[in-house]
Amino acid sequence: MTHKWAMVIDLDRCTGCEACVVACHAENNIGTAGADQAARGRAKHWIRVERYWEGEYPNAKLRFQPVLCQQCDDAPCEPVCPTYASYHTPEGLNAQVYNRCIGTRFCANACPYTVRFLNFYNPEWDKPLNLQLNPDVSVRSVGIMEKCTFCVQRIRSAEIQAESEKRELKDGEFNPACVQTCPPKAMVFGDLNDPNSEVSRLARSGRSTKLLGELGTRPNVNYLQQESGKNNG
Amino acid sequence: MKALYALYSDPDAAQRAVNSLKLSGGSLGIGERQIVVVSSEPFDGYDFSDEHSQTRIFLIASLGGICGALLGLLFVRFTQFVYPLPTGGMPIAPHWTNGIITYETTMLGAILTTVVTLLVTAQLPHFGPRLSDPEIWQGKILVGVTDPPEKARPELEKQLRLAGASQVKTV
Amino acid sequence: MAKTAEQIRADLLRPLVRTSPAYWFAVAVAGSMVLAGVFAFSYQVYHGLGVWGLNWPVFWAFDITNFVFWIGISHAGTLISAILRLANASWRRPVTRCAEAITVFALSIGAIIPICHLGRPWLFFWLVPYPSERHIWPNFRSPLLWDFVAILTYLSGSSLFLLLPMIPDAGAARDLVKGWRKHLYSLMSLGWEGTPKQWHRLESAMHIMAIAIIPVAVSVHTIVSWDFAMTPVPGWHSTIFGPYFVVGAIFSGVAGLILAMALLRKFLHLEDYLEPIHFDHLGKLLLTFSLLWVYFTFAEHITAWYGNDVAEMNVLWATIRGPFAPLFWAMVFCNFIIPFPLLAIKRLRTITGTCIASCTIVIGMWLERFLIIVPTLETKFLPYSWGSYSPTWVEITLTVAGFGMMALLYLVFSKLVPMISMWELEAGVRKAPIYRRQAVHFEPQAATAKAGLAGAEPFATDVSR
Repeated sequence: MTHKWAMVIDLDRCTGCEACVVACHAENNIGTAGADQAARGRAKHWIRVERYWEGEYPNAKLRFQPVLCQQCDDAPCEPVCPTYASYHTPEGLNAQVYNRCIGTRFCANACPYTVRFLNFYNPEWDKPLNLQLNPDVSVRSVGIMEKCTFCVQRIRSAEIQAESEKRELKDGEFNPACVQTCPPKAMVFGDLNDPNSEVSRLARSGRSTKLLGELGTRPNVNYLQQESGKNNG
Repeated sequence: MKALYALYSDPDAAQRAVNSLKLSGGSLGIGERQIVVVSSEPFDGYDFSDEHSQTRIFLIASLGGICGALLGLLFVRFTQFVYPLPTGGMPIAPHWTNGIITYETTMLGAILTTVVTLLVTAQLPHFGPRLSDPEIWQGKILVGVTDPPEKARPELEKQLRLAGASQVKTV
Repeated sequence: MAKTAEQIRADLLRPLVRTSPAYWFAVAVAGSMVLAGVFAFSYQVYHGLGVWGLNWPVFWAFDITNFVFWIGISHAGTLISAILRLANASWRRPVTRCAEAITVFALSIGAIIPICHLGRPWLFFWLVPYPSERHIWPNFRSPLLWDFVAILTYLSGSSLFLLLPMIPDAGAARDLVKGWRKHLYSLMSLGWEGTPKQWHRLESAMHIMAIAIIPVAVSVHTIVSWDFAMTPVPGWHSTIFGPYFVVGAIFSGVAGLILAMALLRKFLHLEDYLEPIHFDHLGKLLLTFSLLWVYFTFAEHITAWYGNDVAEMNVLWATIRGPFAPLFWAMVFCNFIIPFPLLAIKRLRTITGTCIASCTIVIGMWLERFLIIVPTLETKFLPYSWGSYSPTWVEITLTVAGFGMMALLYLVFSKLVPMISMWELEAGVRKAPIYRRQAVHFEPQAATAKAGLAGAEPFATDVSR
């Protein structure tokens, strides 16, 4: 059975702790930009927690919104890449093929969610942090675009494992790093083609919305809105 | 190459020269192809220039454009299907976008065909012997006969002078 | 114009063989600008794109501004050569070659910029469709590939459009210029003789090229505009971009042409050929396009303002009231407020007046390209992703190098080729024979007797210009 990977993020549960951001950096060999480069806007947070507030302390009302690549069905970043470095896989993922990328940055400009990042320099890790690199994920060199892949290395690893054991994948058998790490369990990942998966069930809920859905990108990340009358503050 | 020619500052005089050379050409043993006119600018409205104005270059350029269109479209579709990669929910070979490429290759085909036709029909590049005179660049028109038979030379000279040339030159 | 053919040829071939110290100085300045650019580019390739001012979310800025700017400047030649040729406007004759040269050189610079702006520029050839060992072809659904094909077509077409009319002039130079240059012109002239058949074929070919190059030029800048319009982001996703960019391109192209003509006139002593009337005509054209530019700019912005879409309004306010307001109003000043009186008032539409207007327009149009690109990228849909941009010395150097490259190419060209098409100029000077044939003859005695028009001249059999 072909899978269609999707994610659900419950905005009522999200506390804005940003553990997902740290986990993503660790899992996907994303270098830290450093204070200077981050101030210049070069940080690469494949998942970021957007924070919006109204009013002043102690009456500020805050909302958190983790934003990552939405793996859109009609992704605007895909047709614009001249070298097919960005294309759609049969499992519904927006793939970023690092070795085809020549860095035109058209995909980043086309993305309405601004979830794509450029390697402005060759990444460096001070010793002994280089020993922490994940061997399942390539290290991207200068000039290459990158973004959230739904931890495709974990997806492929689980699929290969299941195939070698001649069985189907179970719902919840594996998760991307952010989903695995989220303390309040605000994030759920799974197969939309399986009507019984947690993701399918939550995506059908009345609270399920899409970010910038009116643009027609058909994203595969569903956001469960807060119950009315409540806020995170 | 051998030639006998004269220079005229007035296109009417040049036309008279060409006319008389053509009329007497048969009796003097000169073919039409041996009568040469050379100028430093185009002269429209005179028979000596207009007789060469029939051209099929417009048809050839259109055919070149059609070829360009077909080649462009077929090439693009071939590349899209040989390794099909879906992007953005679009079809593998969208007509909208392939149309843009086809349009450009149409124009490219027409342009290249035009230039090739020009080079072929104007016989360029041509690095063999040329009939020329520095006075052409002062605006004069050269009318002459290449490889004239020896017996016909005096008669030819007379005709060229009658038309209005002050001097007849040989090369 | 009382010049003989001999004088024309002497005047126009003289710059090829006589060089003033001012020329060498100009070459030195332009050359050093280009060298600075080469150094900056090498620095960028070695260290990475981080040496630019780009960041998240502003991934295009000076690079694409320059790209669109130079492609826009290249529309000068097409307008003059092609459209005026088809309209048979006789005043185009001294202007065609310098316009076509601008087109070819501006296009060449514009074509190099996308290579230099890549994250991995050494792999630029992956944009070229060739059977690769990776079994993959480029993505023709991408506007960048449309750019590639369109610019290739336009560059081929305009190079040929420049080179074809040069053949007879190379023939003249071959016969009239002595020394080492004779071999160069011998080659360039392709053995041109000048028979009526050759003239007819050349003119027919140029006629077709003129017809073909206009739709190509329109399509090229439309396709460049679609680099932006094909994305769904606010401020870019607008159907007006196609025509807006084409009009802006012709606008900046004519301005560039006026400046080039003024410089040529002064330094090559072409005062008798590039006359104030030419600047007057081009000035009127520039005025028309200035008004058209205002129309398109207004139409684009009022649509955003009236529609009141949140994301579009954010970009609009950022542009006209927010951080970009000084640049925006400078652009309006440069493109309209200053040029309008200079071009509309006949007394001011002199060579100096049109040059000042053209200078401000070139600056204004560069600002316009910048203001199309950066405010949108800084102000996309999600407010958390809003950012800011400022250029570094590398980008500024590369921008300056682009202008230096243009100047250098033009300087070299003006030394190798007569900047005014000699045979076209002469063909225009010569009396048009059609008037000769259809002229009216009447008896001078009858006319003077009838109306007492003593000393009245009979109709001449030819019409002087």
